[in-house]
Amino acid sequence: MSTRAKPDLPQGTLDLLVLQVVALEPLHGYAIAQRLKQMSRDVVQVTQGTLYPALHRLENRGLLAAEWKSSDTGRDAKFYRLTRKGRTHLEVETANWERLTGAIATILNAAKGEAS
Amino acid sequence: MTWLQRLVHRDRLDDQLDAELRDHFERLVADLRAKGYDDAAARRLARLECGGLDQAKEACRDARGTRWLEDTIQDVRYAVRGCRKAPAFTAVAVTTLAIGIGANLTVFSVFDALLLRPLPVPNASRLVTFTRWIQNNSSESFSYPQIRGLGERTDLFESVAGVSTDTMFVGPPESLEPVGTSLVSGDYFETLGLTPLAGRLLGPADDRPGVPVVAVISHRYWMQRFNGAADTVGRTIRLEGQQVPVVGITPPGFIGATIGEPADITVAVHANRVLRPEDGGDTTADSRWLLALAVPARSLTREQLQAGLDVAWRRVLEATTPGRVTGEARTRALSMTLTVERGINGASRLRAPMRRPISVALALVTLVLLIACVNVANLLLARGASRGRELAMRLALGAGRGRILRQLLVESALLAIAGTGIGVWIAWFGSGAVSDVMGARMQVPDTAMGLEVAPNWRVCATTALVAGVTTVIFGLVPAWRASGTPHGTLANTGRIVESHGRLASSLIVAQVSLSLLLVIGAGLFMRSLHNLRTLDRGFAPGNVLLASVNPERAGLTPAQLLDFNRSVLRRVEALPGVGAVSLGAITPLQGGGMSQPMVVNGVSTGLSEIHFNLVAPRYFEILGTPLLAGRDFTAGDDAAAPAAAIVNETFVRRHLQPGNPLGQRVAMSGFFAKGEMGIVGVVKDAVYESMRAAPPPTLYVPYLQTRGRPMHLVIDARAPLHDVAATVRAAVQPMVPATPMRIRSFAAQIESSLFQARLMMSLTTIFGVLALVLAVVGLYGLMSYTVAGRTREIGVRLALGARPARVQRMVLAQALRMVVIGIAIGLPIAWLSSRLVRSLLFGLEPTDGLTITASVVILLTAGIAAAALPARRAATLNPVAAIHYE
Repeated sequence: MSTRAKPDLPQGTLDLLVLQVVALEPLHGYAIAQRLKQMSRDVVQVTQGTLYPALHRLENRGLLAAEWKSSDTGRDAKFYRLTRKGRTHLEVETANWERLTGAIATILNAAKGEAS
Repeated sequence: MTWLQRLVHRDRLDDQLDAELRDHFERLVADLRAKGYDDAAARRLARLECGGLDQAKEACRDARGTRWLEDTIQDVRYAVRGCRKAPAFTAVAVTTLAIGIGANLTVFSVFDALLLRPLPVPNASRLVTFTRWIQNNSSESFSYPQIRGLGERTDLFESVAGVSTDTMFVGPPESLEPVGTSLVSGDYFETLGLTPLAGRLLGPADDRPGVPVVAVISHRYWMQRFNGAADTVGRTIRLEGQQVPVVGITPPGFIGATIGEPADITVAVHANRVLRPEDGGDTTADSRWLLALAVPARSLTREQLQAGLDVAWRRVLEATTPGRVTGEARTRALSMTLTVERGINGASRLRAPMRRPISVALALVTLVLLIACVNVANLLLARGASRGRELAMRLALGAGRGRILRQLLVESALLAIAGTGIGVWIAWFGSGAVSDVMGARMQVPDTAMGLEVAPNWRVCATTALVAGVTTVIFGLVPAWRASGTPHGTLANTGRIVESHGRLASSLIVAQVSLSLLLVIGAGLFMRSLHNLRTLDRGFAPGNVLLASVNPERAGLTPAQLLDFNRSVLRRVEALPGVGAVSLGAITPLQGGGMSQPMVVNGVSTGLSEIHFNLVAPRYFEILGTPLLAGRDFTAGDDAAAPAAAIVNETFVRRHLQPGNPLGQRVAMSGFFAKGEMGIVGVVKDAVYESMRAAPPPTLYVPYLQTRGRPMHLVIDARAPLHDVAATVRAAVQPMVPATPMRIRSFAAQIESSLFQARLMMSLTTIFGVLALVLAVVGLYGLMSYTVAGRTREIGVRLALGARPARVQRMVLAQALRMVVIGIAIGLPIAWLSSRLVRSLLFGLEPTDGLTITASVVILLTAGIAAAALPARRAATLNPVAAIHYE
């Protein structure tokens, strides 16, 4: 495990990441955690205590739908899939995020420019 | 899934959550093993990475959004357990609340029935009713011509109706059944907007002289008497001895438009002279006996209506005041004004006289409820203090203040709900009892008359409101304090005792003030009733029986009635146990009277200024009214003798010329019109219609010198009343088989006229005693608690040589201080609220010194009594044991 301090996820971004990961194909919780870890190159590591409450919250809000299906291990696993509402939400939030990060980047860059 | 489903299926969701998290864990273990770890190491690493399983589960449960409810359910369980562990506390708290809430609901349901409940008729919200005024004297009764006169004003009203409800008898003479019957003018049902359930209702065509008498019955009566038979319309009922066809049935729920006087049968006003010929003159301008109900024209505002009515009423008055009323009397009669009131709940003679008492009663029960709340709050405070350790422990273990606050409030709510449950049960019986008392007021024996006090949404909403408000009042403060218990108190409960003591004392002070108000109220009404009972009414009830029959029913003409009266008199005189017997057209306080316009020494008097009565010889002697001058009537004062009259003192003072009243002349017009009479005697003033009113000028006429009418027998009984009543009934009833005789004692008649005073006295006494008991319980509780909390300190004092008597005094003084402060606060409040009850009192001011002094003494005594036991306990403490206490 890396000893480098893992940055905290900004509020609400975990939801966005989860929706994005699930958007590709239905996944169970463990797979979602693995994907997040792999895709972020170990930067985003979520524990059970943060991942599952987020999944359940998204399910209760109707952004995700869940289904128990048999899996590779032979046990039934709970697979989450993006609903139509979830897809809309994802698109809106992604656009928002990009605007926001773009704006933040601009400000930071400008500040850097002034400082130099 | 909705949050509700998530709540219901939370066990299954928990299982699934468990499976999901375990799956995650197993996959992690599998991956780690694939990386080369052995099984044990893989599991250890996985466990490390996953973190606390239970925290994860809790967080997921939070995500369900049903947390608050699950917690509440848990709180309720916890509260129930807590209450069960302290049965004495729970019992006292619940009983206290039940008394407070029950008393409130009882009074409120009567209030509701009398003043709030809408009539179950389509036009209810548009109905208005009228009150007529001469200066400050008001009445709701109108003459038939007045109702018709107002009804002609179609520019003001869509419809105007008159109604009066009375008891009529149904069935054959041997089994007469009294039934509430409304006599109504032709537009009655149209005014109400009612449509028949079956058949037809009455219309203007039914309310004319000479048309056949027909009846409309209520749905309730149809069910009771005809078992809802389909062919009921067209059948006949035997009403007052006559076969009357039933032409229609009113919809369910409707039992007349007169509050407190339900009616199952409705007939036209004009039917009365056929059914009860003795009520002659019921459509004349002299008889004002109908309550008015009207539907105003839609286009009019309230102000326009009143303005239009002022003019219209003046015209109606001019047209309906008999021409023989002249001069000053006419001016006075025409000065009568009319006010419009909402009639949504029907017309009522009870409403005006009962409004003030009911409002006072509502204020009183609110006080009782407040006191009950204060008591429970105090109990909770004491309990909170003794639970300080437990709460401090929970706070220390990480429970939030909000969480503990909520839990304590749930506990209070639980107590309130239990209290309300029992309170509703109390109110159920209570309102029935009050309704019975009101029924008795109607003076209709053997009938189920009274108010319909069934629960409805207004009563239920009030119940919920009262319960909710109570919970907040008595629960919040103690909960707030208890939840704020500082951590340090975990080890030391002594300090909490002291800090709670101050709040508890102020609550006791408040309680004492409120109780003082109620005790003073009870005292005032008690003395008021006493004053009414001991008032010099101008007669002495003695051992007098009153009996009445309606011989006119047998079809006797006025002339035959005279003979009938004479023969009844003779027959009763001869009966054993009868000392003396006389007749009176009106008996004192029977509830009503007669008045006739007169011309005294050439001056004509007002329409209802002079009361008058027809009497037989010895009437005054039997009733105990002293003859002050002249002579009583004799058997010789008959049609052949010169017309004679006896007057009372007020008559002499107001209407006769100074000098000797005997021999002065009076003439009478109106229904009993007769020529000039010479005054032969003067009697002492006697109360006539009401004890509260000063005796009116009264003129008595010998019964043999005017037209015959039904009379009351006035009997001086020399044997037990019951026996004499039976003898009289056996002798007289056969002479009038058609209608049952009514016999009652004069004393009972007087008592029933004291109805309002008695009702107020019982209500205030009950509430006063309740309040006092609650206050004493509260004070006792607080003092016991204080003594328990100060055990160690008292022990030290005793050990250091304080004498027990001194310790006892110390505790008593503490209690008395609270009582005295409470009294000091209560007295000015009592003085301020005295205006509310002034009009209900008789013969004393609301600031009556004796009553207030007595009340203060009662409260002081109660305070000492409440503190005596705890004080004794403190004085007899064993110092050694006390010091080691805790």
